[in-house]
Amino acid sequence: MEINEGQFSGGRKYKNEDITVYWKPSACIHASYCYRELLEVFDPSRRPWVDMNGSTTDKIIEVVNLCPTEALAWKWNDDKKNDSVDSDQLNHIKFRRPELMNSTDTDSNEQPVSIKIMNDGPIVLKGNFTLAYNGVKKEIHDSIISICRCGVSDHMPFCDGQHRKAGFEG
Amino acid sequence: MEEKNGKKSQAIIEVIDFGPLKITGNFLLKDLQRNKEESPAEVNLCRCGKSGNKPYCDESHKK
Repeated sequence: MEINEGQFSGGRKYKNEDITVYWKPSACIHASYCYRELLEVFDPSRRPWVDMNGSTTDKIIEVVNLCPTEALAWKWNDDKKNDSVDSDQLNHIKFRRPELMNSTDTDSNEQPVSIKIMNDGPIVLKGNFTLAYNGVKKEIHDSIISICRCGVSDHMPFCDGQHRKAGFEG
Repeated sequence: MEEKNGKKSQAIIEVIDFGPLKITGNFLLKDLQRNKEESPAEVNLCRCGKSGNKPYCDESHKK
């Protein structure tokens, strides 16, 4: 399961409480400012390679602004703040990827989470939501997660496919 | 569930220890098994496989 990472039509995006960082792999020229300046967040050897909990929002913005291409761009999650961003914020989406400014990819336009009860199978959750289990809360972005409904999974609370062997009906 | 500006708040999916999956907020539940669709304020979905009222929890896990 990938946390704080989501795919969308223009690449991938990574969120913390304040900002979303967009990654467009096809635009990367490996100038490598991101991981030389902030390996805690941008680590190409890790999956997902961006960890938004690795540093402060200010530092992440500073390093994203160093990217010489549109491979990395960022925006405030609070859309009201995006219109008034200064032009010294080189890699804000307003300047780097204006096509994202009016996309439906905003928190104010949140789609309901899709919850499907599969035939004789798990509960499949899809979208953006908070998942709380074992005393921890995780923010899930644009991901699909299957929760066991038959009671026999070895990876609770997640489905591991054993409902078939168990002959679960319901 | 609280609503702000007429908009439902983000969905919260809570795995209750030794209990059901509790879901609140903005969600759409599609039951493909029973061909039903609904979006109530809250549901508790069975995780133990024993409920007599699937997909909902009926507390059978406590027996």
